[in-house]
Amino acid sequence: MSSDKKKMTREELGLQIIIFSLGFFYATVYYIAAPGTIDLQAVSDKLLAYLTAVLTAGFAVGVINIVRVHTINIKRRRATWKYSVLLIICLFGMAIFSVIASPYALDPNAAVIPASVIAFATPIWEFLYYKIFVNVNASIFSLLAFFIASAAYRAFKARTLESTLLLAAGLLVMLGQAPITVLLFPGFGAIREWILAFPNTAGQRGILIGLALGVLAFSVRRLFRYPWRG
Amino acid sequence: MDNVLSKIGRTWVNTRCVRLMLELVEGRTAQFVLLIIVLAAIYVVSGIAKRKQLKTRGIPGLERIDEWIKEAGKLGRSVFFTPGTGGMTQSDTLAGLALLGYVAKHCVESNAKLIVANSDAQVQQATEDLVKGAYAKAGREKEYSPDMVRYVSPRQFAYAAGVMGILRREKPAVNFFVGDFQAEALQVAEAGRTEAIAQFGGTSNIDQLPFFMTTCDQTLIGEELYTAQGYLSSDPEAIANLVGPDAGKALAILLILAGALLITFGNSILIALMGL
Repeated sequence: MSSDKKKMTREELGLQIIIFSLGFFYATVYYIAAPGTIDLQAVSDKLLAYLTAVLTAGFAVGVINIVRVHTINIKRRRATWKYSVLLIICLFGMAIFSVIASPYALDPNAAVIPASVIAFATPIWEFLYYKIFVNVNASIFSLLAFFIASAAYRAFKARTLESTLLLAAGLLVMLGQAPITVLLFPGFGAIREWILAFPNTAGQRGILIGLALGVLAFSVRRLFRYPWRG
Repeated sequence: MDNVLSKIGRTWVNTRCVRLMLELVEGRTAQFVLLIIVLAAIYVVSGIAKRKQLKTRGIPGLERIDEWIKEAGKLGRSVFFTPGTGGMTQSDTLAGLALLGYVAKHCVESNAKLIVANSDAQVQQATEDLVKGAYAKAGREKEYSPDMVRYVSPRQFAYAAGVMGILRREKPAVNFFVGDFQAEALQVAEAGRTEAIAQFGGTSNIDQLPFFMTTCDQTLIGEELYTAQGYLSSDPEAIANLVGPDAGKALAILLILAGALLITFGNSILIALMGL
């Protein structure tokens, strides 16, 4: 543990003034209005729209990083360099077809891009998006089922008093959730509801109150200090 | 109460110099008053803690971060860090970045390669700045490589797949998952668990916290996420700031008890006050 507190540089101070002004303005707008003179909420919404535009422009930085990292992989012939080639082809291929043929295409009315090119690109984009991307995305999401099973197995090992209590509570909730056990003994449903409504909610609210206070102290601290200096 | 506060606000601001009518937004008066009270309590208690050099309660596992990073350096293996899928406007992401500064510094000191994976382009820039800064501070800028801080994807499951791939290929010794996480939390933490000697998790998303609890060796719960960096530094101001929120908690407990007692005896004045 060490302290590395030092004076802010001029750039950091400038940035801190902007952070403080905007942060203070947003906090103020939530509580205070100026009816009849200025619509503070509209100003806040406008600023948020500018922020979104700036953030979108920053997306290019991400693409540059992907290209740099994978070009290094290819140049150094790392073990996975072939996948890097595939990734760069997919990245730019999908971007080109999306610009021509997706619902967010740049020229949907074929004012500049010839209609024949759009007609050629549309089925390819549809294939790439609906037949590949959507399915791969769903498959990755589906992996969660297996991960939950292995995590639950680890969590439900009765090694300590706490994990035994967790195991018992988890079993009762599962028994209350399954239709067949509720048919056999309707009490399981009531037990499940009680566990979720009382001990579970109480625990969650305790965490939420702590979180809210933590965010409050953290946000005030961030208003006065450069965000990533600690 | 709403009217009184609005009148005070109008009188205060409506001077000859500033012809601006300000008033509290309807339904947020109680929130505003509570905010002022809690902030005042945090400020006063932090001041007392600073003057009397009060010790804060420990956060389990934080002391072991240095130890784990040193171990990774000795083994010649990397350290992995991801601040999750949130953007720069998320407080969890900022808390993750604050911890990343500490981790990066110790990775440089222990000669452990740090790999950072991002899902947001702005967070990518901030993390690059942090990691580069840690190397520059140690006078070892040349050792920084662009593939240390990687932008994976803004898409949730593409990011999850990318991170799982990095964890399988690079086999880091220590994994940090601290920031804003959604459904991908369990996927990345489970993928990292197979090879890592230690995992560290932290998020304010209470739906994902149980997953980190089961897959990570140490997990930051609740406000610990926001106070971890302050706790790790020996800055008395930061330590004092950790004690401050406890005053807010005491206030919350008092309000809950008062509310429970009042409603038990059929008095709903506190509910009416909170609704202002």
